[in-house]
Amino acid sequence: MDPLKAMWDTVPPAEPGDLAGARRRLLDGMRARPDAGTARRHGVTVPRPGAGTARRRVVTVPRLVVAAGVVAAAGVASAVVTPGTPAYAVGENPDGTITVTINELRDPEGLEADLGAVGVKADVTFLAPHTRCEGPRFASVDGAYDGPPFDSPEELRRAREGWRSAKATGPLSIRTIGIHPEHIEPDETLVLEFRDNQNPAVPWRLGAFLARAGAPVRPCTPVADAN
Amino acid sequence: MPCGLQGHLPGRMPAELDDATLIERSLREPETFAVLFDRHAPLLHRYVTRRLGPSEAEDVVADTFLAAFQQRGGYDGGHPDARPWLYGIASNLIGKRRRTEAALYRAYLRSGVHPAEIPGPQVEDGLNTLAVNRPLARALLRLKRADRDVLLLVAWAELSYQEVADALAIPPGTVASRLNRARAQIRQALERGE
Repeated sequence: MDPLKAMWDTVPPAEPGDLAGARRRLLDGMRARPDAGTARRHGVTVPRPGAGTARRRVVTVPRLVVAAGVVAAAGVASAVVTPGTPAYAVGENPDGTITVTINELRDPEGLEADLGAVGVKADVTFLAPHTRCEGPRFASVDGAYDGPPFDSPEELRRAREGWRSAKATGPLSIRTIGIHPEHIEPDETLVLEFRDNQNPAVPWRLGAFLARAGAPVRPCTPVADAN
Repeated sequence: MPCGLQGHLPGRMPAELDDATLIERSLREPETFAVLFDRHAPLLHRYVTRRLGPSEAEDVVADTFLAAFQQRGGYDGGHPDARPWLYGIASNLIGKRRRTEAALYRAYLRSGVHPAEIPGPQVEDGLNTLAVNRPLARALLRLKRADRDVLLLVAWAELSYQEVADALAIPPGTVASRLNRARAQIRQALERGE
């Protein structure tokens, strides 16, 4: 027998008594949120009875990126969209990156088509204020969308460094994001969820994720969100 | 008949359905998810116990199934067996307890006892086992986390290459290269008997 397979193989499978606590936690969690696999995605931590007494602190992934908050302070003047400005613009750069400017949250299908024309398979959703897409809509390539929670902000930051979802897009200004196709594998879908932020200085917030190659992305069903 | 169609048959008990059908059904009937727990938690608990020791295993199993429950809407129904999905989630959670895992191996190197192992009946067997397991524990301790995940998902969780690839969201070629590297290190450690 393979010595590694044999190593500690007398550790027995769990008996029901060993799992009673875990099963109870699962059932409690299921009752707390029976309707969705959405809890973590929207900033709610995994339900943990007893949290706040002895449990560790849990940090969840922020799902929405503020479009370049740093730039916002200096660029208030540019926040006013003049009449006749197109709702969005897609530009290819010499270094292979793609720049997307969103002036108005309108015509997501047109933006998807224009991104497709420059080689980015995208799923674009424009959301009204205080709404979110009911989820999960797809299987993500990494923890940016549906991964486990983190014990600390430092862990989250380190994890983010390894996520292609985080590398594939980044805010450039209050209305503009850059897309880096080198971080998108063939047949993966770039899922972009823009939400109207009702603030001229930060006009929208963005959730940008990568859906696994070949995995379907369900249509967005907007639901109310407190944030 | 394809397994995935079973869920549409009236009167079929959850215990008879494949995992994908159970998960799909649990979107409408959340309590069905408990069947998945009863089916997979005992062996998942064993796997986590081998890696982290008994004190954290129940917590990791609970976190795994809670995360799975919350992510179940994104489950790819083309995979009737949910083990790769569950072990992938558990691997992430184990990865966050690297210190616990390292402490388990170090304690074993000192004491020769895994806290959850049932002691063998023969002292002699126990000594022989120890002569093999000590270098293994030392080698596991030295492996990169990513290599150890692949190696132990194959050796202890008995997942196939493709299932490990699905679990860790990496290409099968990466599974093979990590496995080769890890096995080479294990082999060398055993040859040296250090």
